[in-house]
Amino acid sequence: MSVSLIILLVVIIILVLMYNSLVAKKNQVENIFAGVDAVLKKRYDLIPNLVASVSKYMEHEKGILEEVTKLRADANKPNISDAQKIELDAKVSSALGSIMIAVENYPELKANENVMHLQHSLNEIEEQISAARRAYNQAVTDYNNAIEMVPTNFMAQAMNYQRKAVFEIDETQRQNVNVKELFNA
Amino acid sequence: MKSVSELTDFYYKVLYPTLKKLEKDRKHLRYRILLVGSGYTFVFFLIATTLGKNLNFGADFLAFVFFVYFGIGAFVYKFLIKDYTDEFKNKIIEPLIQELDNRLNYTQLLHVPQHLFERSEFFKQTVDRLRGNDYVHGEIDGVRLEFSDLHAEKRHKDSKGRESWSTIFQGLFIVADFHKTFHGKTVILPDSAQSTFGDLIGGWLQSKNLERDELIKLDNNEFEKKFVVYGTDQIEARYILSHSLMHKLLGFEKKSKHPLYISFVGHSIHIGIEYNKDLFEPSVFSSLLEYKIAMEYVQTLHLAIGIVEELKLNQKLWSKR
Repeated sequence: MSVSLIILLVVIIILVLMYNSLVAKKNQVENIFAGVDAVLKKRYDLIPNLVASVSKYMEHEKGILEEVTKLRADANKPNISDAQKIELDAKVSSALGSIMIAVENYPELKANENVMHLQHSLNEIEEQISAARRAYNQAVTDYNNAIEMVPTNFMAQAMNYQRKAVFEIDETQRQNVNVKELFNA
Repeated sequence: MKSVSELTDFYYKVLYPTLKKLEKDRKHLRYRILLVGSGYTFVFFLIATTLGKNLNFGADFLAFVFFVYFGIGAFVYKFLIKDYTDEFKNKIIEPLIQELDNRLNYTQLLHVPQHLFERSEFFKQTVDRLRGNDYVHGEIDGVRLEFSDLHAEKRHKDSKGRESWSTIFQGLFIVADFHKTFHGKTVILPDSAQSTFGDLIGGWLQSKNLERDELIKLDNNEFEKKFVVYGTDQIEARYILSHSLMHKLLGFEKKSKHPLYISFVGHSIHIGIEYNKDLFEPSVFSSLLEYKIAMEYVQTLHLAIGIVEELKLNQKLWSKR
């Protein structure tokens, strides 16, 4: 076998491996996003129940309750993109955080068993969402690294792979979570 | 729970009369071991040399002689220290455990069952022999906890059919209820590849480990440097390994000062601390009153029983209420 043929074979093998690793990374991102979506949906399912339980008492927070209901409706629309879902998640997290803090001002609500149960469920789901977000961010980082780093970036360009966005966990959100934990302690 | 210094006080104050008596026994025992040992060595080699001269055997015979010498020697040694060991465990180790938490039970001759060790998936080799002792079990704040000394070994046979044993794990093995609900497996091992080969090549090697599940890369650099994590589910692994738990596990690793294996399988957390020696055994050739020796018993027990508080296993999440 001539040398050029061997070189050609090696080049083909390298190209195939690069191609496959990129596809695997893309699929991993999609795969984990499905998991993120599932826990987000779990949280959205709690919202009507939560709004119904607290709206009788919360006169001053009507605006935020309406907002959360609207966000849920937006999230349930078909054909929304992953990026939009990520954006909605951030908004819902902060809105729910504010509702939970507001609950503290209503002794009747704080003692209400249904609300307490909802609060506990939300905390639990919040932990699951946080885990899902971290898993997604890691998968996206691996993917983004691969499409930007030499030598896979050339292959990614040819395959028209684009950078994907990660979940940003901003400071206000972190504080909301902390405050909630404080109240529950 | 009592602190390490409170427990040390207990060791030197409350247990002092017992320690003094044991210390006297120990000195007698040391004398007896030296006496019996030298007598045994003399007689044994006298017989062996006479036999060897008369029958004219080669190197194989010499190896066999040493094998028999150490075999019988170990047996005699164990026989000699048995009473002393029993007394030490009943009068020192058991009270120390009771002092730390009186809800725990201590059984000298039992160990954590083999199926739990295998369930932990710390090692992929089959365990051919599992020995252990000093079994402690009980319930603290609704969290079931059990631990013991364990020594897991694997059997090898060479081409001549000769048998030999190698150690898979020796140290402390702890199993406790975990407070979050999960369905898959998450295994945390000491990171050897990344520290030997660096981040790039080491990380690549880790991801290519065919024996293990998916590699889980975590968002805590210090944790990533110390450990490598494999799991069946990327999201679930992170649900278990929250930022606060990773932080606590790092603290636990620093305290234990030995390689740490951790896994989450079937509602439980498994922890293996690789000491590579038999724990909670009385010292024969140095004093029980020595601070270093005392601290070893006290710290090891404190570490094992302390995990419930240290890792906050008693703070149940809502899903488990």
